[in-house]
Order: sequence, then C-alpha cells, then structure tokens
Amino acid sequence: MISTNSTGEPALRIENLDKYYGTFHALRGINLSVKRGEKIVVCGPSGSGKSTMIRCINRLEQHNGGRIVVLGTELNDDVGNIDEIRREVGMVFQHFNLFPHMTVLENCVISSMIVRKQPRAQAEATARRYLEKVRIPEQALKYPSQLSGGQQQRVAIARALCMQPQIMLFDEPTSALDPEMVSEVLDVMVTLASEGMTMICVTHEMGFARRVADRVLFMDGGEILEEAPPDEFFTSSATSAPDNSCRRCWAIDWKQRSECVTPHAFRHLHD
Amino acid sequence: MVSLLRNQKVHNALLQVLYVGSIAAMVLAGIVIARRNLADQGITSGFDFLFKSTGWDVNFSLLPATANDPYWWYFLIGIINTLFLGSVGLILATIVGTIVGLARTSSNDLARLLGRTYVDIFRNIPLILQVFFWYAIITHLPTPRSAHEAWGFLLTSRGLYIPFPNVGSAAFAAATVAVIAAIVLPAWLGRTSRLAQPIGQRHTIQFAAAAAALACSAIILALGRLPDTPLLDFPALQGLNLRGGLRIPPEFATLAIAIAIYGGSYIAEIVRGGFKSVGTGQVEAALSLGLSPWRVFTLVRLPLALRAMLPILANQYVWLMKATTMGIAVGLTDFFMIVALTINHSGQTLEAIGILMAGFLAINLSLAAVFNRINKAIALKGNQLRG
Amino acid sequence: MEMVLVAPPAPGRLEDLKRRFFATPLQAVVSLACLTIMVFLVWKLLNWAVFSAVFTTSGGPEACQAAAGACWSVIAARWRIIFFGLYPYEEQWRSALACVAVVVMTVLSCIPAFWTGRRIALVWGAGTGLFYVLMKGGVLGLAHVGEEAWGGLALTLFIFVTTCLIGFPLAICLALLRRSELPWISRTTGLIIDGVRSLPLISILFTFAVVLPFALPQWLQGDKLYRVILGSALFFSAYQAEIVRGGMQGVATGQEEAAMALGMRYWQRISRILLPQAMRNAMPATINQFVISFKETSLVVIVGFFEILASGNAAYGTGEWRFAYVEVYAFIAFIYFIFVFSLSRYGAFLERRMSVSER
Ligand SMILES: Nc1ncnc2c1ncn2[C@@H]1O[C@H](COP(=O)(O)OP(=O)(O)O)[C@@H](O)[C@H]1O
Ligand SMILES: [Mg+2]
Repeated sequence: MISTNSTGEPALRIENLDKYYGTFHALRGINLSVKRGEKIVVCGPSGSGKSTMIRCINRLEQHNGGRIVVLGTELNDDVGNIDEIRREVGMVFQHFNLFPHMTVLENCVISSMIVRKQPRAQAEATARRYLEKVRIPEQALKYPSQLSGGQQQRVAIARALCMQPQIMLFDEPTSALDPEMVSEVLDVMVTLASEGMTMICVTHEMGFARRVADRVLFMDGGEILEEAPPDEFFTSSATSAPDNSCRRCWAIDWKQRSECVTPHAFRHLHD
Repeated sequence: MVSLLRNQKVHNALLQVLYVGSIAAMVLAGIVIARRNLADQGITSGFDFLFKSTGWDVNFSLLPATANDPYWWYFLIGIINTLFLGSVGLILATIVGTIVGLARTSSNDLARLLGRTYVDIFRNIPLILQVFFWYAIITHLPTPRSAHEAWGFLLTSRGLYIPFPNVGSAAFAAATVAVIAAIVLPAWLGRTSRLAQPIGQRHTIQFAAAAAALACSAIILALGRLPDTPLLDFPALQGLNLRGGLRIPPEFATLAIAIAIYGGSYIAEIVRGGFKSVGTGQVEAALSLGLSPWRVFTLVRLPLALRAMLPILANQYVWLMKATTMGIAVGLTDFFMIVALTINHSGQTLEAIGILMAGFLAINLSLAAVFNRINKAIALKGNQLRG
Repeated sequence: MEMVLVAPPAPGRLEDLKRRFFATPLQAVVSLACLTIMVFLVWKLLNWAVFSAVFTTSGGPEACQAAAGACWSVIAARWRIIFFGLYPYEEQWRSALACVAVVVMTVLSCIPAFWTGRRIALVWGAGTGLFYVLMKGGVLGLAHVGEEAWGGLALTLFIFVTTCLIGFPLAICLALLRRSELPWISRTTGLIIDGVRSLPLISILFTFAVVLPFALPQWLQGDKLYRVILGSALFFSAYQAEIVRGGMQGVATGQEEAAMALGMRYWQRISRILLPQAMRNAMPATINQFVISFKETSLVVIVGFFEILASGNAAYGTGEWRFAYVEVYAFIAFIYFIFVFSLSRYGAFLERRMSVSER
C-alpha cells in the first residue's frame, strides 16, 4: 500500500504557513511535507481550515506567511509560475464545479486543448480513457445536469486527471453526495491511489482513510493537531494537543465513532 | 527588472496606475485641447459668464425671465422646468400606468385585452416619434378663433387653455402645498407607529386630516383671489386672441402627453408585475378571514404590490426625468436645451457641459435618495412575508 | 351515470359568456364599457385607415386632402424618401438590399445554433460588412456614395447595428473591469458606468456631435456620423455592462475556481467558462436592451441626421403633402413597431423558455 518514492524533492513542502482572512487567522503555522506517491487524508471539524490549506496549495487562496513549495517550485507573487503549477495539480471540489454549458467530453478535453495545446483527437482519446477509468464512458455526450451526483463527481475526477497532474487535491469530494453514491466515487479514488498518485484528501470517510492513507492529519483552529499513520491515528485515544480539551473531545469522538458506525453517518459533520 | 515585472503585486499596481492614469490623461488632454481651441475663438474659460446677461429668451418658464437675466438664473429656470415637466409627466404617467396596469391584471378578458393592446402599441414606438406626432397634432389644431371648446377647456394651435383660479401666485403656491399635504398627511399618519387607535378610528383621523388640508387650500384660494374677479377664470375669445384661463404652451402639452402615454405603458407593466408578485396564498388567506374583496384589495394586495413595485418604479421615474430632454425636439427650454443654447450663444462649452452633468447627477441622486427613504419607510419589518 | 362523470355536459356558449363577462354587476359594467371603447376605437380606426382612406396617387394631394379618411397616397408618393433618404435614385436598390442584409443578420442571430462567440461575431461581421459595402460602394463596380447621402431606414439600421457592434464588446470589457479584483480599476470603471447612466442619451449624443470636436486634435475628429455612433455605443455599453455583470454574478464562483485549478489563464477562463454562462443568464435582459437601443437610435434626429424620422418629417414637410402628417407618422410608427414588437416578443419567448428549462 505504501508506495513512497523517496527520491529527491518532496512533491509538496509547506513550512510555517500562515493565512489571514482580513484579521481572522485561518491557518497558524502549518508544516507539512508530502512525498511523491504519498496519500494524505485531512480531517477536522468544520471551519478548522482544511479547505483553506488545500486551496493554498494551488493558490486559489494566497498565503500571507511561510513557504509553499510544490514540485520544486515555490508559490510566490511571481505571476508566471502559478499557471504552470496548477497544470500539475489537479483539484476535485465538494460541489463538482463541472462546466454546465459543456458536455462531459468537452469538460474533459477543454483544458488539455487550451492549456496543454493538445490536438483535439489526442485530447479526446485521453478523455475517453479516463472516463472509462471512472466507469462512465457511455455518458460522454451528456451534459452535467443530466447526470447523478456521483456520476458528476466522477466526471470531475476524470476532468482533473485529463491534465495528467502529478498531485491530486480532493476537498470533501463525497460530502455533497447522497449516501448511496459515495462508494462509487470512493472506489475511483481508491483505484487512483493504488496507481501511485500523490493525493491530499480532505474527507471524513474513515473507511477510505484506513484503506488508502499513508498519514492522517487532524486539524482544528487552523493548526495541525495530530499527524499519524491511520493505524496509530485510529487506535490511540490520546491526542498530541493536550491543551485544548474541547478539541480533544472532538478528535476522540471522531475516532471512536469511526470504529462502530458506517462512514456515511458522518455526513452531518461536514459543512 | 524582469523579475520585478513578473511579481504579482508590482504587476497589479502597475496595471491600476496605467488604467487610471490613461483615463485621467485622456480627460485632461481633452480639456487642455478644448481650452486652447476655445481660447483661439476668443472664449476665456471660467465661470464668470454665469453672471453675464444672456441676451436671448426662453419660451417657457415658471419664474420671471427676460433676456437681461444672467446665465445662472437661466440654468435655474432650466432645472425647474425640467423638474416641473418631469413631475407633471410622472404624475400623469403614473395615473395612466395604474389604470392600464389594473386593466391588465383584471379578471375581465376584455379589460385585459384592452390594456395589453395599449401597452403593445405605445411601448413599441419610440418616444421621440410620439413627441413629433403629438406636436404635429397640437400645432395643427384650429386657430384660437375656431377653437374646440369643451367644459371650459379650449384646444388651439396656440396651446391648451384651461380654467384657472383668479389668484395671486403666492396664494396659488400655498394652496398647492396644502393640496400636497392633503395627500401626504394621511399616508404619514397611516403608519402604525404614529397612531395607536384601532383601524376604524385611524381612518376617521386620516380622513379628517385630508379634509382639513383641502379646506385650508380652498380658504387660501378664496382669500388670495384677485380683487373684483370671479373665482374661476374661463378662457374666452376676445378679438383675435384668447383671454383668461391658463395657457399651456403646445410644447409643454406635447411633452406632458407624450411622456404620460409612453411612460404610462412602462408603468403599466411595472404595476402588473407588482400585482403578479403578490402570492395567491395571501389573498386567499384574507378572503378566508371574511374580508370583502375591496378590503382585500386595499389592505392586502395593494400594499404588498406597492412594495414590490417601488424599486422598479424609482428607476422608471429617473428615466422619466431624463426623458424631459426630448423638449429640445419641439423647442421647450428644459435644462438640457438651456445648456445647448448657452453653448451656442456664449461658447462656454466645457463649463456648460460640466453644469449639465452636475445638474443631472444632482437630480438623479436626489430622486434616488427620496425613493430610498420611501422604500425604507414602507419596507416590511422583519422577513415574515418574504420568500 | 358513468358517462356523466367522465364527460359532464359542456356549459352552453351563452352560459360560458355570462360566466366570463357578466358574473357580477360590476363585471358586467366593466365588460360593457370595455366593449364600447373597443368597438368605438376599432370602428374609428378602420373607418379612417381603410374605409374612407385614399390609396392611390391618381387624384393627387388635393383629392386626397378632401377625403374623410387617411391619405395613404402620401406614402405611395414619398416612400422612397422615407426608406432611403437622399440616397441617389438609381442606387436605391443597394440601400434596400443593405436593409435586407441587416434583417437577415438579426434573424440569424436569434437562432440558438448561432450562439457561440465565434458564430455570432461572424454573422455580425459579415452582415455589417455587406451593409457597408453595399451602401458605400466604391468597390465591385458600385458607385461611391458618401455617408452624408445616407438616410432613411438604412441610416437608422446602420446606426443601430454599429452601436451594438461597438457597444457590445465594450460592455463586456466594462463589466469585466468593474468586477476586477483591483480596487482602483473597478472603482474608476464604476464611476464611468454610473456617470454615463445618469446622463440622458440626448446630452451624450449632443456632446459627441457638437462638443467633442473642440476636445480632440484635428486628426482624431472623424466624421460626425461616427462620433455620434461612438456616443450612442458608449451609452449602450454602460447599460449593457450592468446587464452582463448581472449575468456574471449568476455564475457560481466555483466555475472560475475550477477553471483556475485546471490551469486556464485569465482570458481562457473568461472566454470559455465565464462569458458563455453569463451571456446565457443575461440573454432576456440583453434583448430588452437591444429593443430599447433600437428605439433610441431615433434620437439622432436631434443632432441633425437624416434617419427615418427626419426623412419622415421631410416627406410631409415640403409642399403639397403638408396636411398628411398623421399618415406619415403612422407609417413610420408601423415600421418601428414591426421591428421592436417582434424583437421584444422574441425576448419574452426566450425568457419563458429559460425559466422553464431552469428548474
Ligand atoms: N473567503 C473567506 N473570507 C473570510 N473568512 C473565510 C473565508 N473562507 C473561509 N473563511 C474562514 O476560515 C475558516 C476556515 O475555513 P475553511 O478552510 O473553509 O474550513 P473547513 O474547510 O475546514 O471547514 C472558517 O472559520 C471560515 O469562516
Ligand atoms: Mg471546507
């Protein structure tokens, strides 16, 4: 399962990351290093800064302090870098964000064609391959609004993969889905993981975390409070954040429930 | 250097400076060139000309005006003309629009058809064409000698003559204020916070206030009557000309009619939209409380529809104010025409354009302010009825 | 029994009529009043416009003036000036063809198959180009006719089309600038848009026609026609920009984020993701704006152009047709009505269709 590729620069290095929304301190001194091929699962209560952190990685949000180095390139005010980074970092959103005015196939080929400047035939071949992989090749000519939520999210994954990114970010990909559709999306993500993709997933699906994650991060109040391999994370009931008891409760609660209930029961914890 | 340019913050700052700078530079260059060109024609820039006398006449004014008056007085006359024409047009258009709009929401198929025909015809013909049309009609009316007469009104190519009280101008102004008070006072009193009495008594008080104000205006008119004249002065032919009554110049009548008819067709649609937005649920609830249809209309449908309409109506009124500039098509000296004439006669182009912009900005802003006040005052408190 | 339940006896015609128009005394009064007004107006109108009207030029103006009804012979005698203004007589077929080109172009752009940026640009580019070549000539063996000789319907359409052609891209630029994240850019643009919107169109046309030449260097002044078109385009774009911006606000922010995450650059995001969706949202309001702006082209008559309204004034204003102003205005109103009414009906249809498909 653990397929670390420890040669050279890590895929992602975050040092002392700070992020403010106005005066609100959303991320406080985050440190994280992700090796190539590593799978990270991020969890934590709503409003804890998970989305903010993951969005800083492809600069949908600009950070205010610290360093983020993605694939050897530091994210800074240099305007030229950012589009190059974004090509290599795929992102899947909670609400899919498919382009409603394009068919599924067009959704998948548009960025390869206009960003990577691939000819249409090649882009379509790639797109069809990935649609096959997410198991909806037959929906290629439909519009997003004609698909179910699970299908839309799988298209969104295929769309991101079509850019052939080196890192994939997932921001709660299953929390907007009806329970019966969660597994079809998780299955696709598991397959992707087994192929060695570097993944950072914000999710509350513990089954998925146990099966796939190399490390699980627990965040609250803009900080990473705990960071451990899943086995350790789910068995230890003591957190490494002794000061704030309330935060601890949440973490313990989260872990304990994860042992006795199905993952879907946690949907109410998401925003 | 290159790396500095690629820095996003530098990049953003540069873009902003470039954009704002180039616009400012264009405006400044225009002003500089214009000043030079005007100076070549012997026109010195500055606002001194405001105090020179104009040397030309206006054909319509509510204030006394002669060719010796200074420019600033003429601008004031222009603004007042525009506001006056705008208000008259606004009131007439609202009346027309309300009638047609109610016809369009009526349950009677014939009334709806009639309303719809009206809107379809008058909305789809440009206002200026309608202005030309009515102007042609009015100026082709018979001469005073063979004027049409109806109920004391005379329609002639020189204008419309209407009976008018024989009063001094101060008394007339005071009476007008009293009439306005008769409309505003009950509405103001009607706001729940002001009167604690139950509905029935409240209505009595409102009626009393309105009646008192109207009586006031009647008394003012009676007292202010010019000595030895009948109260109402009817226009009548004397020799080749008409004497008596109030003459509405053809230009003013044209614009008032055109704006009323064209604006009315737009307001009718707004009224219809307002009534359509009142949910059937609220009407049914009121009916099931045993209220009579008339009560349901005045207590439920009308107030709710008014609230929905008002923001759109405000825009429409601002538009109507601007439509008075059509006056120049028939030669009515509204604000815009005074500015145009000023440019023609004095050559003070930049200053006049500046005054034009400032004038319309002031009119728009004050209208917007008034409507915001009204909007706030009648907005539903809380959100129980929204959604 | 079964039969009765399935198909209750249809109420008689008379009962139905009674129910619809005479249910209560008030209803009956309203119905009768409306009916009276309608019959009266329709009869008056028909009588004037058809029954007692004169349609032929044979009797000349005098016979026409004597008639009780409308004198349509003024149109028969003067239609060329109304449609073509002062355009040279032998070349007027070109002006007619140019108008047809514009109408075809408008109809084409109402068909959803043409609603991609490229196709609509192609249709409008080709239509306007054709119009310009036909009107101006000087190439392809067509005699040269300067803009000063253009007039009538053709000039009206030309001003309208060029206003939209310049105003529309300008509106999109203004809308984008106004929603810019850079505060000074968005504020300055907001000031320009709100400033233009607070002024009446006539004052802008007047400024561009009469005042602007003072403020421009000689080489930039250009023809008065094009200056006025520019002014009218600026006015159009200030209103249209707010419509486009409204359409953009209707596009979920996630759309742009997704495009960013895929590595698209600013213009790619705008042109491929944001604008197609925003324009779709803004479609009904846009058509409404086109309708308004078509009606407003008639205002150029005030700054001295010989468009259809001015040529209408000329058509009855000279000599023997002076009495026939109502007929001429009615005719011009009818022409405007055809264009404006069909366009606004189309807008209403589109709005209905969109609100149905939006569920
Ligand atoms: N655009 C924003 N402006 C201001 N505050 C924000 C914004 N986005 C997020 N926040 C705040 O930052 C905190 C972290 O948000 P987020 O990263 O979305 O949390 P999570 O994804 O863990 O639920 C929250 O308190 C939220 O209110
Ligand atoms: Mg989140």
